[in-house]
Amino acid sequence: MIMNFKKIIIKYFLIISLVGTLISCGSDTDIVTPDLNSSEETSNQEKNIAPGLMTEKKSDDSGDKNRGGVLKRLWADPATLDPHLVTDTTSAGLVVELFSGLVSLNSDLEIVPELAESWNISDDGKVYTFKLKENILFSDGTPITASDFKWSLERAAHPDTESPVASIYLEDIVGSMEVIDGDGSITDISGIKVIDDNTLQLTIDAPKAYFLAKLTYPTAYVVKKENVEQGGDNWTDSPVGTGPFILSEYSIGEVLVIRRNDNYWGEKAKLDGVEFNLAGGVAMAMYENDEIDITGVGLADLERVKDVNDPLNNDLVSVPPSFTVTYIGFNVNEPPFDDLKFRLALNYAVDKQLIASQVYSGLVKPAYGILPPNFPGFSLDITGIGYDPDKAVQLLAESKYADSSNRPPIIVTVPGTGGSPSLDMEVVSDMWDRILGVQVEIQQVEWATYLQDLHRRRLQVWGGSGWQADYPDPQDFIDILFHSNSTNNHGNYTNQEADKLLEDARTEQDVYKRISLYNQAEQLIIDDAPWLPMWFDQEGLALIKPWVKGFNFTPMIVPKMKDVYIDKS
Amino acid sequence: MFYYILRRIIWTPILLLIISLIVFIMGLYGPGDPVEVQLGQNYSEERAERIREAKGLNDPLYIQYFRYIGNALKGDFGESYKYPSKKVSELLKPKLVVSAKLFLASIFITILLGIPLGFYSALRQGSWIDPSVVALTLVLYAMPVFLIAPVLIIVFSLELGWFPVSGWGGFFDKRIILPAITIGIPGVAVLTRIMRASTLDVLGNEFVRTARAKGLTDLVVNYRHVARNALIPVVTILGFSIAGMLGGALIVELIFGIPGVGRFALDSIFSRDYPVIMALTLIGAISLIVANLIVDIFYVILDPRIRY
Amino acid sequence: MDNNKYSKVNSNSPFKITLNKLFKKKLAVASMIILLILYGSGIFASFLSPYPYTETDLVNTQEGPSKEHFFGTDRLGRDIFTRVLWGIQTTVIVTFVGLLTGSLILGVSLGLISGYFQGKIDALIMRLGEITSAFPDILLIILLAATLRPRIVDFARDIEEKTGISGLISSGFIDYVVIGFALLPLSWFGMMRLVRGQVLSVANSEYIESAKAMGVSRTRILIKHVFPNILGPIIVSATFGLGAVAGTEIILSFFGLGVQPPRPSLGIMISDVTGRGSASVSVLKNHPEQLLAPIIVVWLLIFCWNLLGDALTDVFNPRSR
Repeated sequence: MIMNFKKIIIKYFLIISLVGTLISCGSDTDIVTPDLNSSEETSNQEKNIAPGLMTEKKSDDSGDKNRGGVLKRLWADPATLDPHLVTDTTSAGLVVELFSGLVSLNSDLEIVPELAESWNISDDGKVYTFKLKENILFSDGTPITASDFKWSLERAAHPDTESPVASIYLEDIVGSMEVIDGDGSITDISGIKVIDDNTLQLTIDAPKAYFLAKLTYPTAYVVKKENVEQGGDNWTDSPVGTGPFILSEYSIGEVLVIRRNDNYWGEKAKLDGVEFNLAGGVAMAMYENDEIDITGVGLADLERVKDVNDPLNNDLVSVPPSFTVTYIGFNVNEPPFDDLKFRLALNYAVDKQLIASQVYSGLVKPAYGILPPNFPGFSLDITGIGYDPDKAVQLLAESKYADSSNRPPIIVTVPGTGGSPSLDMEVVSDMWDRILGVQVEIQQVEWATYLQDLHRRRLQVWGGSGWQADYPDPQDFIDILFHSNSTNNHGNYTNQEADKLLEDARTEQDVYKRISLYNQAEQLIIDDAPWLPMWFDQEGLALIKPWVKGFNFTPMIVPKMKDVYIDKS
Repeated sequence: MFYYILRRIIWTPILLLIISLIVFIMGLYGPGDPVEVQLGQNYSEERAERIREAKGLNDPLYIQYFRYIGNALKGDFGESYKYPSKKVSELLKPKLVVSAKLFLASIFITILLGIPLGFYSALRQGSWIDPSVVALTLVLYAMPVFLIAPVLIIVFSLELGWFPVSGWGGFFDKRIILPAITIGIPGVAVLTRIMRASTLDVLGNEFVRTARAKGLTDLVVNYRHVARNALIPVVTILGFSIAGMLGGALIVELIFGIPGVGRFALDSIFSRDYPVIMALTLIGAISLIVANLIVDIFYVILDPRIRY
Repeated sequence: MDNNKYSKVNSNSPFKITLNKLFKKKLAVASMIILLILYGSGIFASFLSPYPYTETDLVNTQEGPSKEHFFGTDRLGRDIFTRVLWGIQTTVIVTFVGLLTGSLILGVSLGLISGYFQGKIDALIMRLGEITSAFPDILLIILLAATLRPRIVDFARDIEEKTGISGLISSGFIDYVVIGFALLPLSWFGMMRLVRGQVLSVANSEYIESAKAMGVSRTRILIKHVFPNILGPIIVSATFGLGAVAGTEIILSFFGLGVQPPRPSLGIMISDVTGRGSASVSVLKNHPEQLLAPIIVVWLLIFCWNLLGDALTDVFNPRSR
């Protein structure tokens, strides 16, 4: 999914940050929330905690010490709580606590069974047979069967559901596209079969290694038919889920409270609940005043919290980087970017190392390739384009556009509705100007317009956004962003050799061969410079109150609240 | 006078109708396609068309407009684009309540500080108190909320620990105090100055001198005669200073994390949630018109010399 | 309204008298000097600023005030002093654009027309004013800026493509147009009402009656006799208006609807450094100069305009204290 880099920047500037930094969606619809939202705040205090939480807390005090408590976090309003519609990280961070699917990711990003007990993959790699766990219940106490899954997946695909991501996550299932692209009359997906109450069979069109990974995304989660049908458009006001928590209270722009689901199949959540404050505010001050338990550290506070004499220093923890790559994209059909040498010159002229250390205080890592470090398929053997001002000047001189008089004006479009477009864009344009004498105009447009223009490929150069992993598979980056036919190939990049490699990789069963295909493709693409890769996410910093135990920061959004507890003793 | 009031009352609904038309047109010409706002990028034209049809976006404009007005009269402003299936009125109601309370608190603070300060400083004209109050009001009036808010937070929340940094607990919750002061400060400055000027005006009047000559004590004169008469023009100004406080309120809600309508309005503008924007503008206009009407009528009653 | 006073002042080279009175007020003189310095430094920003406003210096970021950088440097190592100067220039342009288009041209001329011709035109203009003033100012401004900007930018881009004129957008010209438009509803009606009221009171005075009786044409009366008499109140109101427009520009820029980066504006500086308000506490604690530099300038601007406005009110209207 495309994500708004401003979001990342804002994260450093302080705010939600840890609001689930990763997951991402297969679409670029995400995060239409304006940046204002990110300055989330709290309305803390006992008053906002649902009465239920208070009583439960009392009963728990007598028992296990490692249980109980209410975690207070700053969050933003979710765009939706319907798992089938989720496209953004803010919503996903909540949805994964309330709902679940056949499989899920654990904190180490391994695919683990969730509601499925086990599964078989046929020899041709096309038929997945899932055995469901025994006696699993919805949060209202009713049993979950294989037909619930069939109904849920078909609902996610149905055009009336208007899921922006169904086509991305469910397309592999045989018959799914007929439903998704249909007029609503077809509801049955032939590739989904209920063998018995506990057995579900999914058939996919080709042996795709990343299919299971896609099922960890909320689009494939199970919802309860009666709940959805009776609740109508507003069914998520009182959702019946299968996750470790259930929704207890939600008022838009104010507060969202989740509490323990006692019908959860596994070990019950330790926390009584989590209170997400949605009203915004000055996060750092709120943290200092004990109004929230966790906050990211913004650039403005970095020096202070790193100072060992500051009391906040004790609460400092590092946050694993999310799988995100930020870049400046070139539309290779638009002059002057139709000239490889010109694109290369711009690439060589940017000293990313300097920007990373000085502007972002080391919170980002210069990107020279496409796949983020530690992501499946990441290879150290990829050679990227480093900083080389002499080479940049030389390449510019060799290019068709060496003479500034026959160079079309360059307009860099960045998303945003205020303030500086993005810190790095201003430095980069300054570097281009100083090293190459190439002057650009930075144009800032609203996020929604930006996405629209990007999608229609109307942008000449664009910055300020990035791509975040949807599922841990290199296909999610390289194929989706650079295959000639991909809808997300916003810069019209084409390379037949790369296309061939990417197509082969889709169905290649040998893991090593597959990775090597992706590596070759990545190298080809980097050499063609359709991008100026900027940043990978780097370890960030966060503050977490000493009484919050068992909280793990993860690079992708995974259900994680159930192991957390508050211990103020 | 009666004729004037009557004319104003008749004019008000016409005014509202025109305003609603303007708001409606602005919604039409705003950037972005409502369907796209709702569906995101990956949708088929066919599906978009169905939604347009279902939402009545294919009807002639005047029908859309009258439908909108008809529903708005019933308090129904349609469904939000950003939170599909949520009624705008339901979304806005709690936020309007919060903002109204906060605003009321600010006005309360404005009056509580501004009127005595202006009155007192006028009575002390000639001493050092008067010019320092005047200077203070000027300094405060020009002070941007971007500075007032963090300074208040640092001093009263982080250092002294008297108030929480943010949040909302209703009218009788101490969390309302800092944001209300922040919003109210420019108002205090304005009100102090008006009250001061008006008091000075009254002090120079014949009847005050007569009252004093009659041997009434300063206290009685000041409070029974001067203060009461000085308040008349202040009432009308209050309306203006309230309108002027709105801009500050937006930012204050942002910084203090108040779940009010200000933040929501900005969110809606940036995410192009037109039904919400239209509703907000209409509600804002209605309250402003009604407030002005009340002030005007009040003014006419208070001071019959005013002719229109 | 006391017309005699005006006519007397008028017959006696009014400007000399007002100026003399004004210069006797120390505070007013002080504010004028400060405003002159601020506006001068904004207008001559290109000569005065020690660095280009886009120049980044990644080796010296976030430095405190020093001899090389009077107000220190920001996160990109840009000289804050330079950016403040250019930010003032933005304010200077915006205040004048906003005031000229809104208050002065539109407000004054409509006020003159309305007050002088009265009748139907007057009623129409007044109703129009009531409509615009019925909207909550700030909401309308933000809404206008948000909806207008994309249209105007598209339009300008069209012009640029068709005529080959470049720099329409990059020069920031478009931004000023947008802001000017957005500020219109804020400014014109107040000024119009003021002028109208003044015209009404002057126009019905014996002095104009006699001019009319002497067969002087309406337009001539308007220009020769009415206008000079209402100049005082216009100047006073414009002075306060300049302060208000400066404040509004800050709020617009704060929400990203003012001038566009990389052009600096005081509002953008405040917005950037406070992370849209959410980091305001942190920056005040850790790098106060980055926030205080633009804020003090904004504060001075509004403060001085108001002080001057007060003094002018006294000068033009001797009755008030």
